[in-house]
Amino acid sequence: MMESFRHDVIVVGGGGAGLRAAIAAVEADPKVTVALVSKVYPMRSHTVSAEGGAAAYVEGKGDSLEKHAYDTVKGSDFLAAQDSVDYFVEQAPLELTRLEHWGCPWSRNDDGTVATRPFGGMAVPRTWFAADKVGFHMLHSLFQHSLRFDRIVRYDEHFVTKLLVDDGAVKGVAALDIRSGAMRMFQGRAVILATGGAGKCFPFTTNGNIKTGDGMSLAYRAGVGLKDMEFVQYHPTGLPGTGILITEASRGEGGYVLNAEGERFLVTRDYGVGQKAELGPRDMISRAEILEIEAGRGIKGPYGEFVQLDLRHLGEAKIMAKLPFVRELSKIYAGVDPVHEPIPIRPVLHYMMGGVDTDVRGATPLPGLYAAGEVACVSMNGANRLGSNSLTECLVFGARAGREAVAYGRGASDGQEARLRAAAEEEGARIDALRGRKRGSEKIAALRSEMQTAMESGCGVYRKQESMQQAVSDLARIKSRYDDIALEDASKVFNTEILAALELGAMLDVAQAIAVSAAHRTESRGAHACRDFPQRNDRDFLYHSMVFHEESGPRLDKKSVTITRFQPEERKY
Amino acid sequence: MARASHPQAMTPHRPGSTRTAPPQVPDTFWSQPRMRTYLLFDATGIPYLVLGLIVLRVAVALGRGPEAWQELMRDFSNPLYLVFHAIALISVIFVGVRFFRLFPKAQPARLGPIKPPPRPVIHAGLYAAWIAVTLALLVVLGGLWP
Amino acid sequence: MAPETGEMRKRTFVVTRFDPDKDQVPKTQTYEVACRPDWKVLDALNHIKDEIDPTLSHRWSCRMAVCGSCGMNVNGEPKLTCKTQLADYGEVVEVEPLANFPIVRDLVIEMDGFMEKFKSVKPWVIVAKEKAAEEGPNRQSPEELSAFKQFSMCINCMLCYAACPVVAKEPHFLGPAAIALGHRYNMDSRDEGAAERNEVFRGEGTVFHCSYANECTEVCPKNVDPAAAINQAKLNAVVDWAASFVVKRNG
Repeated sequence: MMESFRHDVIVVGGGGAGLRAAIAAVEADPKVTVALVSKVYPMRSHTVSAEGGAAAYVEGKGDSLEKHAYDTVKGSDFLAAQDSVDYFVEQAPLELTRLEHWGCPWSRNDDGTVATRPFGGMAVPRTWFAADKVGFHMLHSLFQHSLRFDRIVRYDEHFVTKLLVDDGAVKGVAALDIRSGAMRMFQGRAVILATGGAGKCFPFTTNGNIKTGDGMSLAYRAGVGLKDMEFVQYHPTGLPGTGILITEASRGEGGYVLNAEGERFLVTRDYGVGQKAELGPRDMISRAEILEIEAGRGIKGPYGEFVQLDLRHLGEAKIMAKLPFVRELSKIYAGVDPVHEPIPIRPVLHYMMGGVDTDVRGATPLPGLYAAGEVACVSMNGANRLGSNSLTECLVFGARAGREAVAYGRGASDGQEARLRAAAEEEGARIDALRGRKRGSEKIAALRSEMQTAMESGCGVYRKQESMQQAVSDLARIKSRYDDIALEDASKVFNTEILAALELGAMLDVAQAIAVSAAHRTESRGAHACRDFPQRNDRDFLYHSMVFHEESGPRLDKKSVTITRFQPEERKY
Repeated sequence: MARASHPQAMTPHRPGSTRTAPPQVPDTFWSQPRMRTYLLFDATGIPYLVLGLIVLRVAVALGRGPEAWQELMRDFSNPLYLVFHAIALISVIFVGVRFFRLFPKAQPARLGPIKPPPRPVIHAGLYAAWIAVTLALLVVLGGLWP
Repeated sequence: MAPETGEMRKRTFVVTRFDPDKDQVPKTQTYEVACRPDWKVLDALNHIKDEIDPTLSHRWSCRMAVCGSCGMNVNGEPKLTCKTQLADYGEVVEVEPLANFPIVRDLVIEMDGFMEKFKSVKPWVIVAKEKAAEEGPNRQSPEELSAFKQFSMCINCMLCYAACPVVAKEPHFLGPAAIALGHRYNMDSRDEGAAERNEVFRGEGTVFHCSYANECTEVCPKNVDPAAAINQAKLNAVVDWAASFVVKRNG
């Protein structure tokens, strides 16, 4: 008999958003218990790798909530839902303050107040930071704080394979206990997805191995639309080959971006960033780098061409005080000491602005299903995200989703256990049949690599209609070949091959959604830069694109943008 | 290529859902150079124990009077005692140097209102105190003063 | 000098294998891998998994030495395999699961023993009166931050447990990372819970099991210096114990 666990709220994913949602849920009601179901132990979540900082309005620096909102909306190329941006900027300082109370070691000014640093696209330095390891400190502070609550029950290394829907509402999940290989059932009134993005759909990414879009695929398959999927952010300063992130803070502290000739091309040539130069928004800088490389001013290396990030003029003292992790990463993974040499960098896939369709409450159109963090698209980041907004986003919308899920649960009922159990057992049988299934002609690693190649050529920094359509058809073919994969490992205990297979399935859903959305949007906006349609077209394309799952293939739709205060204007810096 | 640790090392109170293999250490765990140095460091407890017994013997002899003392002095002229004391001296220096190296970082940044001096100062201070006390003892026990 | 230069090199990996449903005891399996010059041990393991033997199980995620997943013993030493250059090794590379932990499968170890010790030191801010967010952040000077900052850098990779001779012999010992974390909170100017944590530090898992081997500090990939934390914690625990006779405490 399959093991079943009942909790009021089920949080899938134990990173910044998931932990914050769990904490908010148990704080909202002293009787609520939360299941925190994560495929890794929470401190391994990819939030840990964020480096630069978390943005929030600061007093006394000429900042205002309106300025933060405007920066965010302009950065989004006017595609952000302005009501959620307003909610975000108002909650941001409260959330970062809460984290400080919970022990997060924010870097300080001499007078003991929290220090802030300049960041890309922000008019005022409002980015709180913890040396250059903010994600690490935030995640560990959140996780350690969550340990106080016995009502947050963790199910570590459990991989959710399916949402259990009963009577038109989500009433639980089916999850694979990675350790024993047994399928387990979790029943609850609400499920919050906090599973992050899907950078591993691409070959060069800052993202870790676990970022495979599992939650996006779960919602997609349950009938929820994925919103704005074409907008994927390329971070301008990643290491060639590994894709390891070199934080934007290195530019915030004064680093220069140079081409092969040592020229500070963001200043000397017109790439639309104006005075902001290296602190322009990420999409513009990534595009500038690609254009420099295409013009022959890049440096050739074993992993492709790259440009340079020069920190030498900052001096060793400043680098060790403000960017010690950057120095460590450069030395270990690029063989370069930034005190003496420029760091090789190129645009790498970093973040997904798009995701599961939610509103400002974190609720999806499917009753009982919520989402927060990178997996969700509120949309707070529209067509392009400003650096240091996403960590705060995890906290603000994680907390909101947690509270909303509890409130919803009070008015909702449990699902019918027999029906849920039947669905979970069916799912268990599916997994058992897949595990160690030797017959088949396709290899997981090969299909994954082909998918990544298709995404790189079709959905790169610059896109062409022709290559996007090619990616769409390539992915459709790869998807059909996925049904024919052969698996070697028949063991039940800690079988990571079946995880790779399930993750590949999720990535193919997400990759297809990205490619199909990208191909239909014949304009350039934010991070979606179309060579055939280089202008922004507000008349025809000022809407969120939606993708729905159907057996015959993804179905496209539109959703209107909530515009309140800031009317779309030309995006110039 | 491994040997057993304690069978319950790092074992949770609630057993996991599958059978595990017992905790192990690599073959080189106990024999690698740093570990050997550390085990030697711990092993200096033996010379100290013996030293303690010898001091006890001295005290007892002192209590018993001049004949017992003469017998003690005759025993001490045995070259083995010299060898043992040489080993004990080397142990003390070995432990002292290792301990003085590790001691400064074992001072918390503050103990209530008290803050320790900077680590190099502690390090130098320990050696200064050690040398001063050694010299003082040599002077007094050597009969130079008073 | 960029590490990508150089030739491909064939290396022999001797990897521990264990499937509780098939094996009585762990065994080893040998793989020949043509390695790129800039590869880390983890790259070779991933290559084995993807191209040679998909049945090999190992944990990894960030591949940039910050998530703590990929700790294993490489040629007898606890290492983060994502950070360990193959260029530093000869032809034969032995990869074993992290020492001193029960083995779940292949290179995957049981982590819940660590999670229990971790939680037992109450690694969260303990204050008598919780502040509301509207009251704003606490003030903390850069000097106060530096009193504990180093000890907050722990990524929970557990290499220190794999190196510690006491962990190998004394199952109750809290261990380096857990003590360093408890000490981190004790030294945080915003925390008021030192008395509670010091009771744990004097309890069954006592910090006094530590005999200052310093191996934990030697293997720590993040310069946390847990040995310093443990030995500072000893002093604090003693002073706290003495003070408890003089000063009356709540709870």
